[in-house]
Amino acid sequence: MSLDASFDVVHDDPDAVLLARYAQGDAAAARLLTVNLTPRVFGHALRVLGDAAEAEDVTQEALMRLWKIAPDWRIGEAKVSTWLYRVVANLCTDRLRKRRGNVPLAEITEPADMAESAEAKLQRGARLDALQTALETLPDRQRQAVVLRHIEGLANPEIAAILDIGVEAVESLTARGKRALAKLLGGQRDALGYDDDKT
Amino acid sequence: MTKPDTEMLETLFQDARRTPPDLPEGLMDRIMADALAQQPAAGPRGWRAIWLAIGGAPAVGGLVTATAVGFWIGVAPPSNLPDIAAQIITGTTLATLDEGSAPELSAFGWDIEEG
Repeated sequence: MSLDASFDVVHDDPDAVLLARYAQGDAAAARLLTVNLTPRVFGHALRVLGDAAEAEDVTQEALMRLWKIAPDWRIGEAKVSTWLYRVVANLCTDRLRKRRGNVPLAEITEPADMAESAEAKLQRGARLDALQTALETLPDRQRQAVVLRHIEGLANPEIAAILDIGVEAVESLTARGKRALAKLLGGQRDALGYDDDKT
Repeated sequence: MTKPDTEMLETLFQDARRTPPDLPEGLMDRIMADALAQQPAAGPRGWRAIWLAIGGAPAVGGLVTATAVGFWIGVAPPSNLPDIAAQIITGTTLATLDEGSAPELSAFGWDIEEG
């Protein structure tokens, strides 16, 4: 790897540098990676799965895969975070598929009674609950794309790499997802307090 | 999708970005324990790193053998080699450079070429 290339890696993907140090036995790198990556992985898994216990399992499993692949990691081929989000996305998809096998479809596709729950809660936590409830009504891929784009703040090309689809497909998924969310939540404006304080 | 709905959705996304979910208790510790359990051992440091860098026991064995052989040749050289050790110990020399026998050296050899 040339000097320029190593400079790029340090700036573009500091996690890859930490992962290389981890593979060389650096315990401080293990700690930094854990602290950097765990909240992001857990946050994504929780928003996609909507279940803290399952999100916790997925987080631990995804990071376990990262630790195992560390000695063979090739710097420059993929960003660590992209690879990790991809593992998380696949683990979440597997769990959602299993869930669909156990739960009647109607219980998933129909949103919970958001009007009632939203009317009772006007605080930001309640709004986030409403967003989460609405997210869980989206199809798996739409939900993953919307969370990655609008909550994790990733760029479309990175989301395309994570979901293994084209950039145009990402744009389509996020647009449809946003339309569905706006429709679901738009009816709850008053209940969510948006007409009161304009926040 | 009306404009107010879009704006509300953007506000919700911003709130979600600003409010990462709390991690379950002990999750970070469990992941850290996994990381350390799976971590390859650190490479050797100090004298052990030098020992391995020069090739470990086989290389050091070769060095010791070469040193011993060299010492032995110095002490008891074969008949066709000069006994340098004896010369050093006894102070005798095989040949001396007679200062008078060597031509006088001068710079560039101009004096020889030009007569």
